[in-house]
Amino acid sequence: MGGGAFILIGALVLSMSDDLPFGTLASPGAGMMPKLVIGAMLAFGLVLLARARGGPALAAIAWDDFPHAVRLIAITAACVAVYTWLGFIITMSLLLFGLTCVVERKPIISAALFSLGVTGFAYGLFRVALKSPLPQGVLWF
Amino acid sequence: MHRRSFVVGSAAVAVLGQEGWTRSGRQAWAQEAYPTRAITIINPFPPGGAADVVARPLAAVLEPALKQPVVIETKAGAAGQVGAQFAASAKPDGYTLLVHIVSISGFAEVDKLYGRPVKFTRDDFIPLARLIADPMVLLVNDQQPYKDLSQLVADVRRRPNELIYSSSGLHGALHLPTALFLRAAGLQMKHLPTNGGGPALTALIGNNAQMACSAIAAAMGQIRAGKVRALACLGAQRATALPEVPTMKEQGYDVEFYLWVGTFAPKGTPEPIVVRLREEIGKAAAAEEFRQAMKNIGQDVAYLDQAEFKAFWDADAKRVEDAVRQIGKV
Amino acid sequence: MLFYAFLGCIVGTLVGILPGIGPLAGISILLPVTFGLDATKAIIMLAGIYYGSQYGGSTTSILMRIPGEAASVMTCIDGYAMAQKGRAGAALSIAAVGSFVAGTFGVVMLTLVAPPLAGLALRFGPPEYTALLVLGLVLLAYMSSTSLVRTMLMAAVGLLLGCIGIDVMSGHFRYSFDIKELGDGIGIVPVAVGLFGLGEILSTPSATVTQKVVSPRLRELLPNASEWRLSALPIARGSVLGFFVGIVPGSAHIIASFLSYAVEKRVSRTPEAFGHGAVAGVAGPESANNSASTGAFVPMLALGLPTGPVTAVLMAALLIHGIPPGPQLVSEHPDVFWGFIASMYVGNLMLLALNLPLVGLFVSVLRIPYAYLYPLIVMFCIIGVYEVSHAIVDVWIMLIMGAVGYLLRKFDFDPAPLVLGLVIAPTFELSLRQSLVMSGGDWLIFFQRPIAVTLLALCAGLLVLAAVALLRKDWRGRLARAQASGEEA
Repeated sequence: MGGGAFILIGALVLSMSDDLPFGTLASPGAGMMPKLVIGAMLAFGLVLLARARGGPALAAIAWDDFPHAVRLIAITAACVAVYTWLGFIITMSLLLFGLTCVVERKPIISAALFSLGVTGFAYGLFRVALKSPLPQGVLWF
Repeated sequence: MHRRSFVVGSAAVAVLGQEGWTRSGRQAWAQEAYPTRAITIINPFPPGGAADVVARPLAAVLEPALKQPVVIETKAGAAGQVGAQFAASAKPDGYTLLVHIVSISGFAEVDKLYGRPVKFTRDDFIPLARLIADPMVLLVNDQQPYKDLSQLVADVRRRPNELIYSSSGLHGALHLPTALFLRAAGLQMKHLPTNGGGPALTALIGNNAQMACSAIAAAMGQIRAGKVRALACLGAQRATALPEVPTMKEQGYDVEFYLWVGTFAPKGTPEPIVVRLREEIGKAAAAEEFRQAMKNIGQDVAYLDQAEFKAFWDADAKRVEDAVRQIGKV
Repeated sequence: MLFYAFLGCIVGTLVGILPGIGPLAGISILLPVTFGLDATKAIIMLAGIYYGSQYGGSTTSILMRIPGEAASVMTCIDGYAMAQKGRAGAALSIAAVGSFVAGTFGVVMLTLVAPPLAGLALRFGPPEYTALLVLGLVLLAYMSSTSLVRTMLMAAVGLLLGCIGIDVMSGHFRYSFDIKELGDGIGIVPVAVGLFGLGEILSTPSATVTQKVVSPRLRELLPNASEWRLSALPIARGSVLGFFVGIVPGSAHIIASFLSYAVEKRVSRTPEAFGHGAVAGVAGPESANNSASTGAFVPMLALGLPTGPVTAVLMAALLIHGIPPGPQLVSEHPDVFWGFIASMYVGNLMLLALNLPLVGLFVSVLRIPYAYLYPLIVMFCIIGVYEVSHAIVDVWIMLIMGAVGYLLRKFDFDPAPLVLGLVIAPTFELSLRQSLVMSGGDWLIFFQRPIAVTLLALCAGLLVLAAVALLRKDWRGRLARAQASGEEA
């Protein structure tokens, strides 16, 4: 299973490498390294595939944390998407609030206080104390 | 006047209602009172390079004059292309500027050579000022027997494609002058690209390469220590720091190449902001503090304001494009 | 003078702890501040930031499994495992003490033998570098807790990811999908933070977390006697190894920490403990990382050549103050050189005194309920990654890598070799191709140069050892099976 996935990736990347010349040994081209690595990857993938029969089956893996992981990724992805648009303060407050309140089902008020407080602190630390640029949103901050 | 009334109008809206804080309102407001926040100068090279050591003292002098922080942001990569492209596509509001070196002229030509869409051309930038222009020198490793250029040329001619020259990377600032020289002298050498001026010099000193071109300032410590020998200066006249090194022209090769550092703004930056920046950079270039800083790094300020810089740049770009075509597709 | 060293150390510690703002950014931000100072004070302060940040870098790795910078990736593995066992304080203390020992060792070496060693750096041309990286790849085999094939697969994926971006030697764009930020390749920090930090959170549903660190008593904050004993030799080995790797130009302190981890695992009597909170897995890499960062000063001070981005900025700082770094620095500006060296002795002491008391404070972070702690970690991952390059693409990469890290963990793949592959890919490719250009395509170049041939011989030796061990295991396994079937029959 795992081996198959890597063979697939290897083949895919190989198909994207058509335009990269392998070059000669005296002047190796841009395609040399990727193609060598892909070759190694395919070989290892095959070995893994051949050996896989003895290994644990896919069904043996516990997927009970999967919904939690998906929720977490979804909320984070949404926030990353608006990060540079809404700016640091709004996005980060929403992110923290989303994770604590929606995913973890903490009480709304404590989640909100936590989110705002932490965001404010982080903003102060990075922007004010360290003068490190954070994304500024469409609004003033 | 028209702009001012618009600004006042939008400010009034802003006070009355939230919708005033829109992008356009803010931009117009910023234009009037430029600068209202930190200005970022993109340094497209790894820290410590020529662009960096010029930009930092410049920023230090500009800061009190503009009364806003001037931040150097390093966006290194692809021999200065990543940073230049970033600056070219930045919002032209005067808050993102670019400091770049001679190699800025070559990227469009390289893209054409490889049949790629051209990402940016020289027209995407408004030149603000040239700050320094250091003629390059041709160096050989001290373990090599060559005492002057003619000996080197004779030896390379005897065994073509055996000696190696190092450079800061394909089509980089140290590659172009070497390519021009090799063509002028009709020579063939092996090219060892590295990922920067420092590594290129390291390769030369370690004798992994026998020859390299470098800016004088970067190599001065090594020249004085006798680790490398300067055989030719690529300026129009001999350099003040190395008066005993003859120019290429004196030795019969029509090759001229400078490592210059200039500042640019993205195309579309409003004229009033450009004027303000030119003024301030001009004043900064004349400031004692900046002159001293340049002296420290072994440079004389070679300030050119926009008009002269533009003329110089046009002529220089021809040399660079010529060199890129000469190198060809690798 | 002392004051500036102290200032540098404090800023360095802060910069090291906060994810994203690495030593490079810290020094660049403070460089203009030093214009008003004289050169010695300036370099003392800036260098303080550099080695100070190496102390702080392990903090988030141990507490949250976020590598503050690439060199702390190895600390994440066993440091975090120790923290989960309630030994966060011990891990942090060991890291601080190891850093102190290694840092001081580095300065002593710098004082005594910098000029002769500097010649070594010059002899490291492309073929030597290629050989060193081959050795790194071979040592990978010892690094992973899972099978050899899986480790090599991960390394291959890392190497492939490292090929993304513009090719330095031919100017081709590779796999960049017209995303201009990818032109310069995939950053190490987004990948490492995603795979380790975010991947960890994704595979830890909050319901299953029980708070282990309830009330850290002083005694529990400090390593116990057996932990000290187990870390003494790794610290010593890491210090020596790190220093010599650090002299070599390139991103040496990352490679130093990887090498140290592999070496510790190789020589350990309990290699199976690695990955589950082996104290040697913290002590070795942390020490190696620190002494490598000191070793990097050798070529800078003795030759005037930068070995990495940070030393390049420090050189620029000297240059700006009118001191051209070069082979004559020691003879022409002895005050700068010796002031600098002296400040590093004191600075390391200061950092130890600064970091040990902070251990208790850091550990109490773990008392925050997990449902509140992990959103915080997610936020720090995003800030950290964004602050490195100010590119939102990097944050997306981090997020994708988080999902990948989650899946890899499910299928029992170890992400560390992937990160190592990514780290060495650009240098490996460049030095390999440079070597071939130099020799005109002749592979013999690797066997004509003494350093390269020594390193390659070492690789061959290790491979033979590994093969022998594998065969022996196989043989024993067969023997056992034969016995079992014999008993059945």
